[in-house]
Order: sequence, then C-alpha cells, then structure tokens
Amino acid sequence: MAFIAALDPRVKHTRNVSSIMCDVILALLPGTALYVWWFGFGVLVQICLAIVTALVCEAIVCGLRRKPMRQTLGDLSAIVTAWLLALCIPSLAPWWLIVSGTAFAVVLVKHAYGGLGTNIFNPAMAGYAALLISFPVPMTQWPGGDAATLDLAACLAVIGANTTALDGLTAATALDYAKTQLLLERGFDAMRGEPVFGTLASNGWEWIAVGHLGGGLWLLWRGVIRWQIPAAMLAALLLSALLFHLLDAQRYASPLFHLFAGATVLGAFFIATDPVTAATSPRGRLVFATGIGALVYVIRTWGGYPDGVAFAVLVMNMAAPAIDYFAAPRVLGTGSGQS
Amino acid sequence: MHSAKSIFGAGLWRNNPGLVQLLGLCPLLAVTSTLVNGLGLGLATLLTLLVSNALVSASRGWLRPEIRIPVFVLIIASTVTAIELIMNAWFYGLYKVLGIFVPLIVTNCTIVARAEMFASRQPLAWAILDGLAMGIGFTLVLVVLGAVRELLGQGTLFVGAALLFGTTAQHWTISFSNDYPGFLLALLPPGAFFAFALLVAARNWLDNAFTERRTAPVADAGP
Amino acid sequence: MAEYALILLGTALVNNLVLTQFLGLCPFMGVSRKLETALGMGLATAFVLTLASVCSYLMHTFVLVPLQLEYLRTIVFILIIASLVQLTEIFVRKTSPLLHNVLGIFLPLITTNCAVLGVALLNVQRDHGFAQSALYGFGAALGFTLVLVTFAAIRERLALADIPKPFRGNAIALLTAGLMSLAFMGFSGLVRG
Repeated sequence: MAFIAALDPRVKHTRNVSSIMCDVILALLPGTALYVWWFGFGVLVQICLAIVTALVCEAIVCGLRRKPMRQTLGDLSAIVTAWLLALCIPSLAPWWLIVSGTAFAVVLVKHAYGGLGTNIFNPAMAGYAALLISFPVPMTQWPGGDAATLDLAACLAVIGANTTALDGLTAATALDYAKTQLLLERGFDAMRGEPVFGTLASNGWEWIAVGHLGGGLWLLWRGVIRWQIPAAMLAALLLSALLFHLLDAQRYASPLFHLFAGATVLGAFFIATDPVTAATSPRGRLVFATGIGALVYVIRTWGGYPDGVAFAVLVMNMAAPAIDYFAAPRVLGTGSGQS
Repeated sequence: MHSAKSIFGAGLWRNNPGLVQLLGLCPLLAVTSTLVNGLGLGLATLLTLLVSNALVSASRGWLRPEIRIPVFVLIIASTVTAIELIMNAWFYGLYKVLGIFVPLIVTNCTIVARAEMFASRQPLAWAILDGLAMGIGFTLVLVVLGAVRELLGQGTLFVGAALLFGTTAQHWTISFSNDYPGFLLALLPPGAFFAFALLVAARNWLDNAFTERRTAPVADAGP
Repeated sequence: MAEYALILLGTALVNNLVLTQFLGLCPFMGVSRKLETALGMGLATAFVLTLASVCSYLMHTFVLVPLQLEYLRTIVFILIIASLVQLTEIFVRKTSPLLHNVLGIFLPLITTNCAVLGVALLNVQRDHGFAQSALYGFGAALGFTLVLVTFAAIRERLALADIPKPFRGNAIALLTAGLMSLAFMGFSGLVRG
C-alpha cells in the first residue's frame, strides 16, 4: 500500500512517505477501535500477526536483494498493507490465514514488482482475494456479537489453535445474509427488522464503517488523499444502488445499505486511493474510481461473492495503465507510458 | 556441429520449450492440476513431436519451400488425429479429462517451431533426437508443475494414476496429510499462473547462479 | 436478446479465454510488449476468430456430420483456419492498404493461435447452434482483445520498474497474468451456465 504520489509531477510533495503512512495509520484507529468494541480483541491479534509477518518478509526480501533495510522497512507502507489486510479478514480466523496472505501480498504482489511505487496491484486486496478463493470457509466465518465477550487469552487460543470453538462465535454479515435470503426468494420487506441489519445496514459493522468514514474524511482534510477517488467510487455505487432500489425495492438493497455494509467506506478512502495502483491523471482517477463503484455493485448484486470491493479494486488496478494511456490528456513530451 | 549432449542440453535446460521459450503455454497451464494429467499430455506431445520431426526431416529433400508450412501443419494435424484416436481407444478416461487439449496439440507452437527451425534442415537421426529432447523437456515441465500444484492444492501425488497406467496403478496415490486444508488457489487458474511464474523465476535464479559460478570462480569480494 | 447479451458477457469476462480457459496464451505473452501491436493483434484475432467459429460450425454441421467424418475435425478445422487467415490477408491487402499495414504482420501468426482452433472445437463439443457459435466466437475474441490490451499497458509500465533479477521478463509477466486472473475470479457467478 503505497501512499506516495511520486507519479504525479504537477503536485509538489514536501512530505515523505513515512509521515503520510503515519497519518493513514492514525486514520485507521477510530475504525479499528470500534471493531474491538463490537467484536473483541481478535482483530488486534490479527493486526499484530500481519505486521510481524510483513516486516519479516520485507527484511528477507531486502536481505536477498542486498538493499538497505532501514529505508524499505522505515517507510511504514508494509504496516499499512498488513493493517488493511487484517481488517478485511474475519477476526477469529486461524493464524496461518493472515500469515500466508500477508506473505503473498508483500513478497509476490509488492516486492516481485520492485517494491513500493512500482507494484501494479494493491497488495492487501490481492492478498485478500487470494485467501478468499483459496479458503472460502474460514474466510466467511465472521465474528458475531458474542466474540466481544472473549478476553485476549481466549482470542489467542481460538486464533492459534484453529479449534472448532468458533461455533456460536460466528454470524453472517448483512451482505451474506441478504444474498442467501434473496436466493430463497425473500424480499427486503420480509427481512426488515431482523437483528443482522442493525440500525443503518449491518449490525456492528455499520459503526466500524462510520469510524472509517471519520478517519477517511480526516485524511481528506489533511490532504493525504484527494477527493476524486472516494467521491467517484461512492457516487457510482450509490447511484446504481438508488436506480435499482427505485425499480424494485424488494430485490435491490437501498443505497444506505450499500454505503455502510461490507468494505465500501474502507475501500473508498483507504484502498482505492492508493496512488501507486490507481490511475494518475485526475480524469483517469474519476474513470478508475467510477469503475470500482460500478463493479462493486455488479459483483454484490449479481455475482458469486457477497462483497466485491477487493475484486473491483483489482480489476481496476489492472485497467489503470490502460486508462492512463487512453484517458490521460496528452501533453507534449510526456507520452504516457510510450517509449 | 551437433552432439547428443548439446541437443539434450538445449531441450531440457538452455532452450526448454516451456520454461524458456514459453511455447505451448496453454496446455502447460490448463492440464497441470494433477501430476498424472500433466504426464499424460506430456507423453502425447512427446509422441507428436517425435513423429512430426521424423516425417518432416524425411520429406525435407523433395518439399518445395513455398508450401512447407502448410505441409508441416498437415503432417502435425494428421499425427495428432492418429494420437487422438489411439487415446480414445485405449486411454478413454484420460482422453476425457484432457478434453480439447489433445486436439489442441496441433497448435502447440513448439511442434511447428521445431519442424521449421530444426527438423526441416537436419538428417533423420538428429531430427528424432531433437524431438525426443524437446519432448522430454516439455514433459518434465508439465510433470513438475502438475506435481507442485497437486501437492499444494490437495496434498497428494499420483491421483488418477489408473487413467494412464491401468488398474494396477489404482493404489499409487500418495496422500501426505489427512487433515490438509487444501490450498484451493493452486488448482484454480490464478494458481496455475503463479506456480509457473515461480518455476520460471526459479529456473532463472539457478541459471544465474550457475553462470556466475562458471564465469567468475572467485566470488566478488568487494562491497 | 438478453440471453445473447449474457452469452457475450459470459464468454468475454466470466469465462475469459485467456485468464480462465488458458487459450491464446502464446500471443498473449508474445505480442504484449507494446500496446499498439497488442491492439493490432487483438483486432486481427477478433476478426479471424469470429469468422472461423462460423465457418467451422457450418463445415461441421453440413459436411462432416452427414458424411460421418467427425474424427477428421481437427485437420479440417486447422485447414479452414489457415485458409481463412490467407483469404483475410489477401482481402485486406487489396481493399485497405492502411489496415494491412496495421494487421498484416499479425495475420500469419493467428494460424497457430490455439484460441481460434480451441473455440471452434468448444463450439462443437458444446453443441452450439449457428447464432450461439457466432456470438461465442465474438465474445471470446472481445475478451481476448480486452485482456491483451490491458496486459500490454501493464507491461509498458513494468518496463520502468526495478524488478528482481530472476523475475525479469517472462516470470513477472506470468505473475501479472496470474493476478489478472485472480481479479477476474470476481466475475465468477455473474452468468450461470
């Protein structure tokens, strides 16, 4: 996760990478704190595991490539990647899940491409997608409200031992639940009022999203991220949701639901905004983020997976160089990507 | 100008059709979800390469250069059709599993490339040897990739050996762990690309290590 | 109409030729170093692929099946493809020198593109009708061109990156293809059947 904007020469950068990454980590704190409040200490254990794995992997790669270790590890970007990945996986998942996912993200998705600044795909999202298609069962056992009652030692035991003690601690998220119920021909009217939906969208998860929204707005105010990507992504997602919701409110969830359920807010402010893997020109970014928003809606509504943020981000990461090629204004002598 | 050693060196390592030339990638990635499938298609390709190289080399004296490529393609297509019929008759299970990748051996660029670049200019014996070397090189890559993916994906080796070796092979399957969670990614399309990418990188790394050792016996002592 | 749109979407994205079916990988790896050549190759392949699926369908249904010569389909299809490529080349050269300049050098390469033969064989294997064969060919070609062009744009950017030595060249390209394939897994389930 590289929040350096070295690719855009029109903006003056006086801040270095590590101070930007510090801001990002600070902005993740409210959402993370709310996560702990609602679902217990598991997520903290996952974050620690992920950070340790990421730093060890970076150190090994630096050793193999004979690169200065202090610079690579000191820019804190691996910590942000690890943190985001840990927030995306179920907080009571067995330890080898987060370790293998982080190692995949850091070694193959980031450093095989030459490290920070030249990676094509968002490492955290690639790690998440690889885990989701490899281990579909543990990756969908989300913690329920009872998980908050576990103390730290109990969380460590569950994550470390991979026992079946998970029974009773897990619950479906609202996106999962709505998807299976819709397949059973139950409309949203019949589902309304069920505890899984909470107040806004999804019990517990909605407040975590509110926390991330606060952190994201703070990042905007600090000038760490720019408005185009969050605005275009949320607009595309919410407008498609509104359109279909007006057509048939029984089968298509409301825009509010799509905003506060799943990883929408985290994706819009913390993941899609990664400048290395996004398109570079302002216009390109609008196209890039609109694509993500629309794809999230398509995958959530008609696809095989309950949430689509990771896949949507990866698809648009893939398209970003082509978007730059076709959408960027041609300035004489810059020749976007052409040699 | 040729020696058996140089031909085999090229086929197996220096100029390996799969790892270095990246030819015949489609079957290489598509059928290697298990070791046996990889071996099966590898042997079919090896046979095609042998026969087509031999026929091309034998006919090189009287073939007009303008029509050589269509003739090569016809020779290869006929060989593949014959192999298809043989597999359909005696290895029906395997034939079903490999699906369209048996007829698609026709478009395996390795075969037409060897016909054009080697067999059409060399005497019969060398052409056959080249077909053998390239075929074995390709088969080895298929087998290694199949083994890696099968091992990672389901923790076994030799699943379905009976398809290739008959009923005596029914108990050849080796299972390494009873509660292996199954790394599904290795069996899915992205995993095929990742496993092969790592195989190519590993070959490059080994190759670099060898050439460094050969060209500079004294390790660079400076910083 | 909606059914045809779904076939198109399904073949172009959900069951993408290159990233999930492993067809057409040779040109995918071979001519993706520059975006412009990739675009030319994509368009040329798209044209031949669509035409070849239709022609091989007609040949199979009206000649091979009545004569009970289905076992000759591999030879017959490869001949159809080779002659189509040849005819396209002549036609383009005579009618549009400009187009010939763009596509000319790619046309001979298409004969050994396993995507073309593969789609023709898949059409037969799945008992597609005439319209289905044409759409399937066109959708597959669309998906092929789409990923070829995006892949070429990525590779142009990778040329500037400091990639570890063992990964340079083919390995990083394969890794990228793997990550693209991972991204395309997100489309699974969009179109059933």
